[in-house]
Amino acid sequence: MNKEQIPVKRDYKPGKIATAQPSRWRDLGVSLRGFWKEFSQIKYGVAGLILLAIFFLMIVFEPWLIPFPEASERWRDISYWDSNPRNAAPGWINWFARQKGATHQYLRDPILEVEEQARFKVIKGTFSYDYRFDLPPTGLSLRGLGKGDLRLTVRLERPDGQEIELYKDSLRRRNEDELKLPLGGLQAASTAFEFGQSYDSAENVKRVNRHMIRPYNIFFARAQEGILLKPEPLPGEYKIHLDVVAIGQDAYIKDPYLIVSGRVFGLLGTDNSRRDIWSGVVAGIKWAMFIGLLTAFISVVIGVTYGVTSAYFGGWIDSMMMRIFEVFVSIPILPVLIVLSAVFKPTIWLLIFMMTVFFWTGPVRTVRSIGMQIREETYIEAAYALNASHARIIFKHMVPQLIPYAFATMALAVPRAIIFEASISLLGFGDASIVTWGQILHDAMNGGAILQGLWWWVIPPGLTIALMSMTFAFIGFSMDKILNPKLKTR
Amino acid sequence: MSEVILEVKDLKKWFPVRRRISQLFKGEKSWVRAVDGVSFSIKKGEIFGLIGESGCGKTTTGKLLMKLLESTAGQIIFQGEDVTNLTPEGISRYKREIQMIFQDPYASMNPRFKIRDVLLEPLIIHKLGAGLEERISMATEVLEEVKMTPPIEFLDRYPHMLSGGQRQRVATARTLILSPTFIVADEPVSMIDLSTRAEVLQMMKEVQQDLNLTYLYITHDLSTARYFTDRIAVMYLGKIVEMGSADQIVDNTLHPYSRALIAAVCEPVTGKVNLIKEVPIKGEIPSAANIPAGCRFHPRCIFAKPECWELEEPGLEEAEPGHLVACRRYQEIV
Repeated sequence: MNKEQIPVKRDYKPGKIATAQPSRWRDLGVSLRGFWKEFSQIKYGVAGLILLAIFFLMIVFEPWLIPFPEASERWRDISYWDSNPRNAAPGWINWFARQKGATHQYLRDPILEVEEQARFKVIKGTFSYDYRFDLPPTGLSLRGLGKGDLRLTVRLERPDGQEIELYKDSLRRRNEDELKLPLGGLQAASTAFEFGQSYDSAENVKRVNRHMIRPYNIFFARAQEGILLKPEPLPGEYKIHLDVVAIGQDAYIKDPYLIVSGRVFGLLGTDNSRRDIWSGVVAGIKWAMFIGLLTAFISVVIGVTYGVTSAYFGGWIDSMMMRIFEVFVSIPILPVLIVLSAVFKPTIWLLIFMMTVFFWTGPVRTVRSIGMQIREETYIEAAYALNASHARIIFKHMVPQLIPYAFATMALAVPRAIIFEASISLLGFGDASIVTWGQILHDAMNGGAILQGLWWWVIPPGLTIALMSMTFAFIGFSMDKILNPKLKTR
Repeated sequence: MSEVILEVKDLKKWFPVRRRISQLFKGEKSWVRAVDGVSFSIKKGEIFGLIGESGCGKTTTGKLLMKLLESTAGQIIFQGEDVTNLTPEGISRYKREIQMIFQDPYASMNPRFKIRDVLLEPLIIHKLGAGLEERISMATEVLEEVKMTPPIEFLDRYPHMLSGGQRQRVATARTLILSPTFIVADEPVSMIDLSTRAEVLQMMKEVQQDLNLTYLYITHDLSTARYFTDRIAVMYLGKIVEMGSADQIVDNTLHPYSRALIAAVCEPVTGKVNLIKEVPIKGEIPSAANIPAGCRFHPRCIFAKPECWELEEPGLEEAEPGHLVACRRYQEIV
């Protein structure tokens, strides 16, 4: 080496280099840049990274992305979802479908008239609803705040001048309370049947099963023959009249509004518990990511340490550790996890723990063989000659060489964890306090989504499971390809 | 100079060999007798050379001294203390006093460690030096000692950025940082370019004199041993066959094996360029698992007579003051 090339620092003080630690970060930067250069050559690796970035952004911006920000915490809280329609298809379906379904609407700010009498008030409100669809709404629901003795009547005034009484009942509320009155049920069904009966032929009336009637199909249908069997939509301006008689001084109704339960709703529709699927799927991203990454991280850390330890000590310790390892490898993981989940009803933490109990075996075999190579290196002997402890040799000299491999294995272990969690949740043994894609699928299975053709309930969670797995598989495979040049032909 | 720092008494290292099934049933055991009864003593401040061809057990002897291997039998006495069986604290203390320089400077340092980490590791292990600053200044001191100047330039380099000679200097610095009294140098220059060999050896010798160190210099190269050592032991198949001062061994060679070693040294002398030397030895070194009966050198010895393999193995006897040889016929074959 040419000594003149070395710039001599004459103002050297020992303290100065002690603070020169940041160069370590610079070195890391250089090696990362080199890694990125190779990584960017692999197209699917870059695709995986882009997908990962998208998923991360969706986690960060989740509150702004979903219409129901508490979806994660209140997924199983029926009251949180009860203003949504049931089994509604995604909203964008109307762009493609031949028959446009009614959208989900809120009818607010009615024209209100209040008539005060000595002992009671009469409140009259009129909502107007512009109906321009082929498939009518599935129901109406009256909401508002009320107190005291209330007699309510709701009438539907159709564009053809016909009037139908949708609801008539009296309520008594001691304190101010939220009123949630679905304007459907048996009362509506019989009203609809009577209404239809007066227009349809006697033959049709005989053929129809009056209990199977969908009242709103008839309320929004043309008054003509066939209204019961094959109702045709009657578009136009509908008026819904609300008449309330509030008895007593302190009885009142405040801010009444109507919910028109649509046939289509939101980005991905709803399930049979009125939950917004889009909110559920987006809220599930963070759980999938969390379960996948944490399980993969813990199990790879354990696996690498185990493999290196086994390789380092060799001899009977190695034999014993490998036998234990083989026991774990030969256990069929999924059935055991399912049984354990059924017995313990695990929380998400317990589930992650149970998965790591079986997943750590993943990197062991490769790590052990790499470790056995490293163990024979002279610098290990040199460290031993310096009286370095076993732990120091394992964690300072051997494990750092395996970190790149560990990252690749970790990326490949993530999809496995996600899929296992989904499988366990699909069978209904998941953590009920969170929402995961597997649980949405489980509900879909129980709700007969496939038989009813509710594809929007099944495909999105299934697809996201596949996409998330693909993301990590792509990243893992490309890292593997870079780190194991021998595999480059694979 | 006269105080004995290290004494080895009848040191043996036998490695078990995988047995055949028939042997397993008979309860027989096979051994590779890598080191088969070696005795020598090294005085303080001395450079003691251990010479022999590959596979003769010289590196194993070094590793036994370093406690990298457990000896099968025999005794190692270091500074008057039996160190053959030590408690963990004893081993820690012993490993501060005795250090090793390895043959391959390319492999003896973790490629992911900077020179800084390489040098600080012994301090961290033995909990020496208070704080990073003091440790760094200790590291720069030893780098200066091995003529790596300016030291600050090297601290943040990786081993692969250094030449072989520089790496061996760093390896020496690593052994020196614990200020040991005894260093086992296992063929320290055999993997270094010829042009830098002398430089590295010179550096090692200067360090030895500066710090009053004792070296066990293991090598197969008689020429560097002559240049570097005070006393030499020639090893063959796990046993010392000749031992004496460097001058005695080279100038008054007694054992036929030592003669062969000396004859094998190449000399680039004008007029002799095309002459391929005839080395007075035949055949290859036998396996240490199957050591010949009688004198273990007899199958390769050109002077061998029936007494050599019929009688039992000759021990070391003093031929002249301080010069020991294990051969029955050394007087006849001069």
